[in-house]
Amino acid sequence: MGAVRGCNLPEDLFYNVDNNVWAKREADGNVSVGLTSYACSLAGEIVSYTPKKIGKAVEKDKSCATVESGKWVGPVKTPVAGEVVAINDAVAGKPGTINKDPYTQGWVVKIKPANWDADAATLKSGADALAAFEAKMQADNFKGC
Amino acid sequence: MSAASRTSWRLIDTGLRPAAENIAINRAMLEARQEGLIPNTLRFLRFLPSALVGYHQCVEQELRTDYCTAHGIAIQRRVTGGGAIYFDETQIGWELYLDRRTLGTADMQEISRRICEMAAAGIRRLGVDARFRPRNDIEVDGKKISGTGGAFEGGSILYQGTLLIEFDVEKMLRVLRIPAEKLSDKAIASARERVANLKDLLGTSPRREAVMQSLARSFAEGFGVEFEPAAEMNFAEREKFHHALAEIDHPDWIDLVSRPLSEAPLVEGLHRTTGGLLRVALGIDLPKNRIKQAWFTGDFFVNPRRMIVDLEAALRDTPLDELHSTVDGFFRSYPVEMLQLRPADFVQTIENALASLAGAPLPMAGGAPS
Repeated sequence: MGAVRGCNLPEDLFYNVDNNVWAKREADGNVSVGLTSYACSLAGEIVSYTPKKIGKAVEKDKSCATVESGKWVGPVKTPVAGEVVAINDAVAGKPGTINKDPYTQGWVVKIKPANWDADAATLKSGADALAAFEAKMQADNFKGC
Repeated sequence: MSAASRTSWRLIDTGLRPAAENIAINRAMLEARQEGLIPNTLRFLRFLPSALVGYHQCVEQELRTDYCTAHGIAIQRRVTGGGAIYFDETQIGWELYLDRRTLGTADMQEISRRICEMAAAGIRRLGVDARFRPRNDIEVDGKKISGTGGAFEGGSILYQGTLLIEFDVEKMLRVLRIPAEKLSDKAIASARERVANLKDLLGTSPRREAVMQSLARSFAEGFGVEFEPAAEMNFAEREKFHHALAEIDHPDWIDLVSRPLSEAPLVEGLHRTTGGLLRVALGIDLPKNRIKQAWFTGDFFVNPRRMIVDLEAALRDTPLDELHSTVDGFFRSYPVEMLQLRPADFVQTIENALASLAGAPLPMAGGAPS
């Protein structure tokens, strides 16, 4: 398990570091998308979650869900293009699940990717991702999760 | 830093507008800031009478829509978070559109705190003791005078607040579906204990220009910049504004979040103690199993009196299964004198209100709890 400044960042996931999101190719070919533990730490407890509807086409780096924490509203930007095939009912009932377990229970949407290989090539994983997060945290003047 | 070398930000007053236009400008300016089409900006704005829900709220659950429609009060959805508010010509809105890097931190609560402290300093220049109350309010002696909220898009943020110059508390109670008691003199008096406005505090309404100037000076000092007034939005903003207005001035946007009224019951609880009668009106979010809002009244004695509103603030959005720990935690760190009243009495009052939910038909249909 990778970590930077106390924030868990599993090395087997694919990250868009600027947008603070991860993607994971599942066995059925679909891609789970979620917020990083770093994003959760910056946001504070997430209290609302409105995903795009199932069947909706989403563009890479555009919003696939909107979340709210501490009266701040913002988009979750999907790192892969495709079609929303699942939204997370457990998160809808308890949005704080995203903070508690951002990489498993707290996934935001599942997407049927339009072109996984091409999108994945633009994302970072492993040591590259950890180094990029360290640089981002430095720029954000972030003390730690 | 000398004035000559200070960074210049833009100041714009978009005047009195209908809610849909003001919110379309939110969208337009945030996008324009994100795309680098406008500089960091302080905007002042005013509203024709409007009832505004937060981005994730449901209009039916938050507003008395019949009353709004009958009285020409526009209903709109903000792009920012937080709760429903009533906004009219007697209030001023202030908004900052900033590149996040300006703030030196990415922590959202820290950003809220910094901006609210600057706004509070601006209000203090007018002669009232305004203070930031975590997480998002500015208050004077426990009474809220400014509520705030934000939105972000990529590396840019919009942070906005209200400021009550005068305020019609009774109208607010009629517009919002809040857990007030029936619209009695008592409910209005009770609301007045929770909301402050500049006219009541100063004995006279300050001039609008003076209010804007005070806020602008404090933001300028807080950020170490100077403001350069702009007469109107630039071309790119106006284009974006017209595009956004078509989306926002539409029922699909206003009803973007729609949930059954039965999922947001209003209930009331009573608890007799040796120290007096405690009464609570609660708004509940059933699917999330949370207290949305609590409102305590009664004939008990506590000192300071503002303890009650601070407890209400602590209870906002509390999961029901964390009720005990939230109340215990609050009293552990809050010095208060209570006459024959214990922290557990507040928990019991809430539990009595919640008991009316179990098995009973849910209180429905926009009525205040009785």
